[in-house]
Amino acid sequence: MRRLLTVLVSLLMVTGAFAQSQPNRDLVTSLSSDLISIQSNFTGTEIVIFGQASNIERQPDNRNGYELAIVVEGPPQDITTRRKGRFLGVWVNREAERFQSVPSFYAVASTIDIGRMADRTLLDELGIGLNHINLAVSGVSNVALADRDDFRRAFVRLREESGLYSEQETSILFLTDTMFRTNILLPANIPVGVYKVKSFLFFNGEVVARTEQSLAVAKTGFEEFTFRLAQDYALVYGLMAIALAMFTGWLAGVIFRRD
Amino acid sequence: MQLYLPIAEIPVNIFVIFGMGGAVGFLSGLFGIGGGFLLTPLLIFSGIPPAVSVATVTTQVVASSSSAVVTYWRRKAIDLKLATILLAGGIFGSLIGVILFQVLESVGQLDLVISLSYVTFLGAIGGLMLYESVRAIRRRRSGVAPKARRPGQHNWIHGLPLKVRFRRSKLYVSVIPVVGLGAIIGFLGTVLGIGGGFMMVPALIYLLRVPTNIVIGTSLFQILFTMAAATVFHSIGTKTVDIVLAMTLMIGGVIGAQFGARMGQNLRGEQLRLLLALLVLLVGLRFAVDLLVTPEDLYSIAIVKGAGA
Repeated sequence: MRRLLTVLVSLLMVTGAFAQSQPNRDLVTSLSSDLISIQSNFTGTEIVIFGQASNIERQPDNRNGYELAIVVEGPPQDITTRRKGRFLGVWVNREAERFQSVPSFYAVASTIDIGRMADRTLLDELGIGLNHINLAVSGVSNVALADRDDFRRAFVRLREESGLYSEQETSILFLTDTMFRTNILLPANIPVGVYKVKSFLFFNGEVVARTEQSLAVAKTGFEEFTFRLAQDYALVYGLMAIALAMFTGWLAGVIFRRD
Repeated sequence: MQLYLPIAEIPVNIFVIFGMGGAVGFLSGLFGIGGGFLLTPLLIFSGIPPAVSVATVTTQVVASSSSAVVTYWRRKAIDLKLATILLAGGIFGSLIGVILFQVLESVGQLDLVISLSYVTFLGAIGGLMLYESVRAIRRRRSGVAPKARRPGQHNWIHGLPLKVRFRRSKLYVSVIPVVGLGAIIGFLGTVLGIGGGFMMVPALIYLLRVPTNIVIGTSLFQILFTMAAATVFHSIGTKTVDIVLAMTLMIGGVIGAQFGARMGQNLRGEQLRLLLALLVLLVGLRFAVDLLVTPEDLYSIAIVKGAGA
């Protein structure tokens, strides 16, 4: 009995020692700011994501090395994509496809080409890369199956044009062997809400560590006050708008009075 | 200087918006119009979402018409009874307009209806005005005196029931066309973001035979309160009235209007009407081009739910 116990204990110690000898692949990330406040002078901003991947031996351009991907994702939205067609000689919106719970903002930064980082299935599952975001469509749609891909591509293209979707491969810079940094541009038209910043550390095409942080984008001050008033006290807001307009008009009439 | 609009949720160059308000204000002072039909398209073409443009211009029209209403009020050139009945129709029309606006927006056909309506109404009104002003200019050249309005002249409208006497306008006419006219203008104004003065004034003169000295003040009074109602309906319904955008436009507008009005006094009526007709046709044509020419991008997106919807 005692022998058995000794064997068990020594076995435990061995496994413990073995676990310790494995490289610690902990990933630590930090944002330059966890609150983006939108005020009247807001014209877009940039966040910096710093991080450290402990004990990694990164060899650039080594297929089997460690690679990183960082995804910044805005709160979900339902977005309808429409396509115009000629109807009685006039261009009108004909087909429509509704994308459900898609990110309102999506930016991805990586150390190498996203396609080379891992298998397609894994990238799809994690939603890393513009070709791999989950764009679920609603059941009701008048779009022919053959045209679905066109709508998907058009959707991503339009969002890229508005600066809300972006993919910046090789934009993560290594400051030392383990420390890295990347900048993500948040354009002026970003929607408010809670954003997620997800970082993934890949090794041999597998995720070995990941972190997730939240980033709040909120209107503050006058912008927040006005927006809340318009949303929650619509009648008061409307009456205020009229009062302001009438006062301005009246004042102008008094100032420029000619008779 | 960039300024972030709290409702439109985009930054705009404040001087550009101020300049637009000023330019349209100048033209509205020059021609004695509200200018909504110029301002709304300008905002849409400059990238402000159509829903925000339309709703915000209704507020701007309140400001531009209220300074003029004060002037006409002092001159006692408003038929209050007529204006109130027009207004009742106008508020009703405006309410229907906001409801339709939301339905159209949800099915993705708002832009189309706005464009088609602009083409139709601006084309028709502009065409009529052009015809009328060219004829007036020719007549003046050939020296034939225009036919004076005969007070006893009636048309089919004067045969309708529910007649009411309007003392100041020296009219005895049915309320049905008055309410109907108010409703149509209120409806169009709310959907298209225009005051509708350029439609109301000819309608009052030619259909109801309201005397010309009363017509502008009465029309302005009705527009002021219909657009005030439209502002409230839009605030509650579509929530797209941007007060910062409206304020910028208003200040530019009222200043521009003063210069326009001063310049307008040096121009002859027919010349002004001819210029206005060409302007109206031009805006209509711009919308027609957009409808007929193959668009650069066939696809468009609209947020329906979630952040920023």
